[in-house]
Amino acid sequence: MIPRLFYAFIAFVSLFPLVVMVGYALAPGWTFPDLIPQPVDGRALEYLLSQAGPVARHMGASVLYSLLTVLLTLLFCLSPAHHFARCEFRGKVLLEGLLLAPALVPAMTFSMGVHTMFIHLGLADSFVGVVLVLSTFSYPYMLRALIAGFQAVGPEYEQCARNLGAGFMTRLVRIELPLLVPSMVAGGSVVFLVAFSEYFLVFLIGGGAVDSFTGYLFPYLASSDRSMGALLTLLFLIVPVGLFVFIELAVSRVYRRRGLY
Amino acid sequence: MSPLRQPSLPTLVKLSPLLAPFVALFLGGLALAVAQSLGFWLPLPYEGGPFDAYARLLDPYLLRSAGLSLYVALVSALFSVAVGSVLAYAIWRLPRALERAAVVYKVPLILPPIAVGFIVLVFWSNSGVISSVGFHLGLVERPADFPSVLYGGCGLGMILAYVYKQVPFMVILGYAVLKRVSPQLVVTARMLGAGEAYTFFRVVLPHLAKVMHVAFIILFLYDFGAFDIPFLLGESSPGMLSVEVFNLYFRRDLSNRPTAMAMLVCMFLFSLLFIVLYTKLASRLENRERKL
Repeated sequence: MIPRLFYAFIAFVSLFPLVVMVGYALAPGWTFPDLIPQPVDGRALEYLLSQAGPVARHMGASVLYSLLTVLLTLLFCLSPAHHFARCEFRGKVLLEGLLLAPALVPAMTFSMGVHTMFIHLGLADSFVGVVLVLSTFSYPYMLRALIAGFQAVGPEYEQCARNLGAGFMTRLVRIELPLLVPSMVAGGSVVFLVAFSEYFLVFLIGGGAVDSFTGYLFPYLASSDRSMGALLTLLFLIVPVGLFVFIELAVSRVYRRRGLY
Repeated sequence: MSPLRQPSLPTLVKLSPLLAPFVALFLGGLALAVAQSLGFWLPLPYEGGPFDAYARLLDPYLLRSAGLSLYVALVSALFSVAVGSVLAYAIWRLPRALERAAVVYKVPLILPPIAVGFIVLVFWSNSGVISSVGFHLGLVERPADFPSVLYGGCGLGMILAYVYKQVPFMVILGYAVLKRVSPQLVVTARMLGAGEAYTFFRVVLPHLAKVMHVAFIILFLYDFGAFDIPFLLGESSPGMLSVEVFNLYFRRDLSNRPTAMAMLVCMFLFSLLFIVLYTKLASRLENRERKL
């Protein structure tokens, strides 16, 4: 009985705000002190449909720069993670700590400097600039995941393949990357979520010229009409949840087909 | 499992894919912030000594803003870590089927910070959901009767948003640690007559201590320097440091740029100092525990 009650409590706290969002989406005129959303009408949904073009454009841009951020952080971190996991060298602990700093210290400090830099380089208000700054901010999550991944796999596979005459590329493509998929997915999921949820950095470096879902969402959240903010918040959840489910299914299917699990 | 002693490539080459962006963007961005705070490389000619901007930070208004930032970060992080640890333990103790179904706790974590801020607005504003419930309980007659949770001047709205988003973060970390702990430990403690609370504090908590320290550092510094939630829920006069910086940078004239940058540099240095001091303190506590 007590476990069930506790579970009900967790589910309620996690999901009830979303129920309220649904209420606002269905009943835009819902106000104090009604507990039941009323009057129900399709105004908010109709408005959303009329805005389908801009919504899709901003959502697409957000998905695109978040995926590119995942890809770029992967490229940044693959070789360093291998080195940290496999080799001893002087200053290793200090360097590892330093390289994790961008995720800990306030992002505003370096990004305001980067903003000035990008203005001079012509990267301000550009898509590339947004991906670069998001990658700088979020690569530590990828680095941690990949180091842990390399440590979990161990060096034996590599040594074995090397003894059998596999060259660098063969080892990378046939051995290391497949074995690292779980850690890449783990790190990539966090990086994607961080990039996709970020408002300030995109707003600063994108300067309104780069479309983003958070930038599109913000004015609605700050407005007095809550129905559109509620609808877009629900819409926001669909992308990461859908992506995680898709990756989960795809990865497990590939693994099953290759008989790895 | 010993690492290979002979690196196949020099360290610098292997690390270069990451060192290049780290040095160029992270350290470069920092260097520019420091330079601008001292009056160099500004878009306008600057008439002042190199430390004038730092002297301006002693303004009582900015000091109050720093106090608010520290207070909000401390309360939010403490609360999130404490509640998250207890919930992680409770979820770990659930029967198998419920334990798997408990993944719904991750929902607030997936929501972007601005959406969590919005949820807090919808629930806690004077005419929000909580206020409506109060009306039906006969506690609130008009929206004006509802205590001003959001704009009371002590950052309560921001604390609520941070805690709602960050408790699941602590649960994930704590739960991952507990998954590697044998449930027999708890059973044994209970069989030996330890109560529920005693079991948690003396048997489970030592396993969680390390990850709690890590989570506290991450959450405290995030809450201290983040912008999204304060910008949506922010109280003005004074606001959080990040919002004050934003106002100086974007909403006032360019002569304020060095002051904004000096604030950012101080926030950065404070964060570094906090990490170093906190890790020292935590490891000392751990060593003392071991001697007992």
